[in-house]
Amino acid sequence: MASLRDIRKRIKSVKSTQQITKAMKMVAAAKLRKAQEAIIAARPYAGMLDQMISDLAARSESVGHPLLQTRPAKACELVVLTSDRGLAGGFNSNVIRRASRFLFENAKTYEHITVSTIGRKGHDFFRKNLAEGGAGKNGAHAQFRKDFAGLYTRVSFQTAQDIATELTTLFLTGKVDAVYLVYNEFLSAISQRVSLVPLLPLSGPPAAEGADAKAKASARSLVDFKYEPAREDVLAKLVPQALAIKVYRALLESVAAEHGARMSAMENATNNASDMIGKLTLFYNRTRQAVITKELMEIVSGAEALK
Amino acid sequence: MTKLNVEVVTPEKRLLSVQADDVVVPGHPGLFGVRPGHTPVLSIMDDGPLTLRDGTSTQVFHVEGGFVEVGPDLVRVLANAAYPVATIDVAAAQKRLDEATARLKGLAADDARFLVEAAVVRKEAARIASATRK
Repeated sequence: MASLRDIRKRIKSVKSTQQITKAMKMVAAAKLRKAQEAIIAARPYAGMLDQMISDLAARSESVGHPLLQTRPAKACELVVLTSDRGLAGGFNSNVIRRASRFLFENAKTYEHITVSTIGRKGHDFFRKNLAEGGAGKNGAHAQFRKDFAGLYTRVSFQTAQDIATELTTLFLTGKVDAVYLVYNEFLSAISQRVSLVPLLPLSGPPAAEGADAKAKASARSLVDFKYEPAREDVLAKLVPQALAIKVYRALLESVAAEHGARMSAMENATNNASDMIGKLTLFYNRTRQAVITKELMEIVSGAEALK
Repeated sequence: MTKLNVEVVTPEKRLLSVQADDVVVPGHPGLFGVRPGHTPVLSIMDDGPLTLRDGTSTQVFHVEGGFVEVGPDLVRVLANAAYPVATIDVAAAQKRLDEATARLKGLAADDARFLVEAAVVRKEAARIASATRK
């Protein structure tokens, strides 16, 4: 049976763990707020850019841009967005599981699949599992390509643009025919959803959401813009920008989702610690009483024996 | 007289949403001025100064490329980055410009680094031009 001192020690250690999880929860909550603000701040730009593209597409009959063209799919690249740190519940494992499923399902569709990662957790996993020329049990031809390391210390539009440029180059030089992105979408502070979206070739202009937006769009389409320098040149600049914005959004979503996931994971951990402290305290008190009772009985029976 | 509603947004935030009498935008072929009633235009922007004048007050920003949409009474600037010219550190920009120019001299035109350095030169030169413009 555990001695009183052992139990006291355990209670103490659980308490200090609880303090850590509590602090982590608080930190995550503060960072979450910041990340949420960043998402909201990015909205006007993304909205206006979408509008510009759909305006443009509404008026040009054939939207001929190399990034919009679908090619017979041979090689494909999967970009996996995870976090640098763990202790965020199922945050990273969900993304990794989804990515692995994608590799498994598409092993036959594509002749060649490469994986690149953003975030250390995904990097660690895929580097290990896809190291031997992709002979792992998951994707038959999957290969680890590269890791965009150390990105989370400086999430900015610039970094998103750099990633987008690199992916664009891969796509345009024909090294890959499709690019997918898998990341955690931020739904609310307590829920995330893993989403896997095609990044390249870019799908056509997003359909205007709701009847209001549609009516507005058609009214706007009546305004005939002049293009400076020319419509094609503007489009040629807009399309890569739209791609960069997509990447940027995914980055922001993932960061916010990470903090959300960590917050709820730490909340749970804190509650579990409380439960455990309660149980241990009860056990401690019972043991203490048992010890007292035992000692009393010893004294009494000792006194009896002397009679 | 009607005024222009000017919006300046970057991917990271909405920078500005104000009214102005006229605006000078760094369009792709060169600066162009906008006053209320301008023909609708959608243009690419180069790195350069964005000037807003409202009454007697003038605000000048430096934008690092992007797009601008002009309507009869609105100017929407979608910049990759934008900040007041007063925040530009000319000495630091000049230093980066000189360094990049020096590196550029040692590179062949088909070197992968060439375009990168040339982009730095262009960007810093535009920043200095915006900050020291008269």
